[in-house]
This record gives sequence, C-alpha cells and structure tokens, in this order.
Amino acid sequence: MGLKVELAQIRPKLGDVKRNLEKHQEIIQTSTADCIIFPELSLTGYVLRDLVYEVFKESERAIDKLSEENKCIIAGLIKEVRPGILRNSSAIIINHQVNFTYKFYLPTYGLFEERRYFQPGDPKKDLKIFEYNGIKFGVIICEDAWHYEPIEALTLMGADAIFIPSASPMRRMTTKLGIQDNWEALLKAHSIINGIWTVFVNNVGSQEEEFFWGGSMVVSPFGEVVSRAKLFEEDLIISEIRLDEVRKNRFFSSFREHNRDFHGVLMSL
Amino acid sequence: MPEYVRQKLTLDFGQVSYYLVKRIREYIEESKKDGGIIGLSGGIDSSVTSILLSKATSNFHILLMPSSSTTKKDMEDAMKIIKLTKAEDKYTLVNIDEIVNKFSSAVNTSNNVIIGNIKARVRMILLYAFAQKMNYLVVGTGDKSEIMLGYFTKYGDGGVDVLPIGDLYKTQVRMLGSYLGVPEEIVEKPPSPALWEGQTAEGEIGLDYETIDSILYLKFEEMREPEEIAELTKASLDKVMKIINMVKTSQHKRLPPEIFRLSGRAINSDWRYPRQWG
Repeated sequence: MGLKVELAQIRPKLGDVKRNLEKHQEIIQTSTADCIIFPELSLTGYVLRDLVYEVFKESERAIDKLSEENKCIIAGLIKEVRPGILRNSSAIIINHQVNFTYKFYLPTYGLFEERRYFQPGDPKKDLKIFEYNGIKFGVIICEDAWHYEPIEALTLMGADAIFIPSASPMRRMTTKLGIQDNWEALLKAHSIINGIWTVFVNNVGSQEEEFFWGGSMVVSPFGEVVSRAKLFEEDLIISEIRLDEVRKNRFFSSFREHNRDFHGVLMSL
Repeated sequence: MPEYVRQKLTLDFGQVSYYLVKRIREYIEESKKDGGIIGLSGGIDSSVTSILLSKATSNFHILLMPSSSTTKKDMEDAMKIIKLTKAEDKYTLVNIDEIVNKFSSAVNTSNNVIIGNIKARVRMILLYAFAQKMNYLVVGTGDKSEIMLGYFTKYGDGGVDVLPIGDLYKTQVRMLGSYLGVPEEIVEKPPSPALWEGQTAEGEIGLDYETIDSILYLKFEEMREPEEIAELTKASLDKVMKIINMVKTSQHKRLPPEIFRLSGRAINSDWRYPRQWG
C-alpha cells in the first residue's frame, strides 16, 4: 500500500495570494500524485512583516478555492482563529474537507520574528492525524521539526508519515550548505527513531534579504533520502510512501520500547 | 590571518557565485528594470561585482569615472575587466574633475576629505542618471568589511540599489575574485577608494585587511572578547578596540535615517512592510 506524494517546491510571490493560488491550482490540476504538498505559507510567502495583516483573509479564501479540487492537498496560509489572533497554518484538504494544523514553535532567533505576528498552536488541542489511501500522516510546520516532541507525539498517535512544509532560509554558507546538512540530519533522526517517512517541502527563491534554498526531500523510515528536489530552483518531484518500509523498520527497531516515564520527568523539569 | 579564521571564511565559491548571479538576475527582474549599471574603479570589489553582473545579464553598463586622483594603474586594471566581461561596447568614460571642481568652489573648500566625499557623491549622481536613462538598477560594490567599518561615503558609494557582495568580507571578495578569474594584480592590489592621492584603506585604518576581517569576524560573528581577539590575531588591543569602535560609531551610516516617533505606527519602528509589496 502506498501514497504518491508530490513535493511542490515553489517560489511564492510575496504577498501576491492571487498569483500564488493560480500556481497552486495549475500544479494540482496537472499532478498525477495522490497528495500534493506545498511549502510553509505557500499562499502568502514568508517574509511578510506587516503584510501579514493585509493578506491573511485572502489566504483563507484561497483555501476555499483549493477545496474545490478533488485531491489531497496541503497548503500554507495564515488563519485567523479568533478576531485578531493569527496563526501560521497548514490546510489539509482531503476530498473537499478542510482541516488545519498550526505551527507550535514560532522561531524568534536570528532573522526570524514569527512570535511578533502569530500565536502558536496548542499541542493539547491541535495535534491531528489524517488518513488518505490507507496512510496515516501528520503535518507539522518547519521549526516544529527542530524539536523532538511534535513528531514523536504524532507518531505515537499513529502517523506513518510526517509532512513538513517549510520556509528554511539559507544562512551560514561555508564550503557546504550547512543548513541542508542540518535538515538532512534532523529528518534522518526523526525517521529512524520513529520508524516513519518524513517529507520536507521547502520554499525556494528570494524574499527580501532571505533566500530559501529548496532541496526538499523524502526520507524513508530507514533514514535514507529516497528523493531530492533541486537546490535553489523551483522543482516538482513525486515520491511514493509505502507502509511496508514502516513495518520493516519497526520489526527491528527500538520504536516499541517507548518509555513514557521520561515524559513525566520532562514535565517536572 | 589566523588559520582558524581563514578556514571559516573559505567558502564554496562556485556555489557562492552561482547564488549571487542568480540573485542579481532575480533582483533586476523583480524591480522591473531592464538591467544593471555599475561604477568600475579597477579595484577588487568593483571588478568582482562587474563580473557577477555581466554573468547575471547581458544588459549591463559600466561607468568609468576617473578624477585627478585616479591612478593610471587603476584605469588599466578597469580596462582589463571591461575586456574580461566583453563590455567593450557597454561602457562610458566620464572624467569627473570639472564637476567636482565646481562643487568644491561652491563650498569654497580644498579639504581632501570633503572633496573626496564630493567625488563619491558625484559618481553616485552620474550612476543614477545613467541608470534612469537606461532603466537599469544601480549595482553597488561595497563589501562587508567596508560596510561594517563605515568605510564608505553615505549617499556616495553607499548610495546604490543593491549590494550583491555586501555579506562577503574583503578577504572573501579576493578569494571570489581569484575564483572568477580576476587578474592576480587586481586581487592583490591594496584596496583604495582613491578619493585623494596616495589614499589606501589599510594605510588609513592602520591594519591590513586580513587582520581587520579577522577582528570583525571574531567579534561580530563569534562574539569573542577583545583580549582574546588580540591574542588570536596578534593585533594590539588598541587596534582591536579601534576596529570595534569604528563599527559602533558608523552604525548610523548603515541604517535609514531616524524618524522621530509621534504616531501609533511610525515608519520603520512599527510600520514595517517588505519591499516586495503589491
């Protein structure tokens, strides 16, 4: 049993929801995949600053438009959860039904300033599992993958795959692209430890001073990068997620040995 | 330069040049301009930036704007870059002496620094006038070392639309220059704004650029203490402090002019929109 996912590594135009929506629709309509995954804030762009206040409604309306498509779609938007309370969100559209997940960890270090604009999701209410073509998956957004807990929680809730829409900007370039190495290491660790597929879909191209490096990838439960999108360019790649790999990993891995007492300790620290 | 710093500053210059060329191309497109214009002095910064610009677009133009303090060697080196970028039919030479003299007379000064800054600003005006005529962007040539030190003229060589190599230290620009095939004598030439005769950056600051870059990197990227930096770079503590103070006192040159707040949403302070807006 498998799920064909398309990693839509696009370069959204900052603040131009109409144009970004058209790009989403074009990709969805020509895709042969079961599920099309777009990057973080794919309908709005990332480096919005105060444009956040001007585009959030339009991004919510764009999701309504996307829900007309008869596919599994994951797209990035800004959702107003209460008047004036905005969240960096992913819409999960399955056969016209729309659901949302919210970013839990909002980065404020270095170049990031998400907490200025967004309210984080609440793990007690907002962790969700979805199912399509027999594959259970969770969706977390970018920075959430830099912490153990969101992926661990979703896996324990039953996820076989985790989709990670992201906006990872290039920084600390040396003789190699350090941030790419970091992401690869993170995804491999999450996949191996939890026995899951991890699917990282990054933005690409420039937005203000920042440049999103692309390099989207799919990592198997055995920690192998099974497919990779181009660096620095827009790209579309299709990859198949198979349950058998999840099963094989877990027959011979430490995944079953989960010890919840550690969480008790963590709670007391 | 300590080996440790040299290793930290050595990048994959193939990837760096690919990235910078791509971004120049995209920036021109996004700005809805037809190309880019650059002032070429024959120094390493403008040579490297000219090559990057020429790789990004065939729509580029080079301005040579010598004055009485421009050396013959600089002009010869500039011509080498024009040849290297195949810009023989894409450059204009304007001698700025007459314009500078008129400004200097109006100000009634013979002060080297004041006249030097007039030269830098005259060049800026010419670059923008040509840019407007051609619907091009003004591509700046400042590097990270100069920008950090405040070693540029506000609204002169600092008056540009984009700074492609503004996140590369001088030492890295030299490495990139070697990678891009800039003639060795330009790579190794002591950097000089040539605003007056005999002026060199290293002479004015009193340290070579490898040491300056080491201090800048260790202080502002690794956040080390001045004493440790002095020990690592073999520079005196006074010199280390001098560099750090140059960075601090020139902060106003790197930021947009301060706006005194009155309203609920003052520009820059809490009214913050990206350039790509609409």
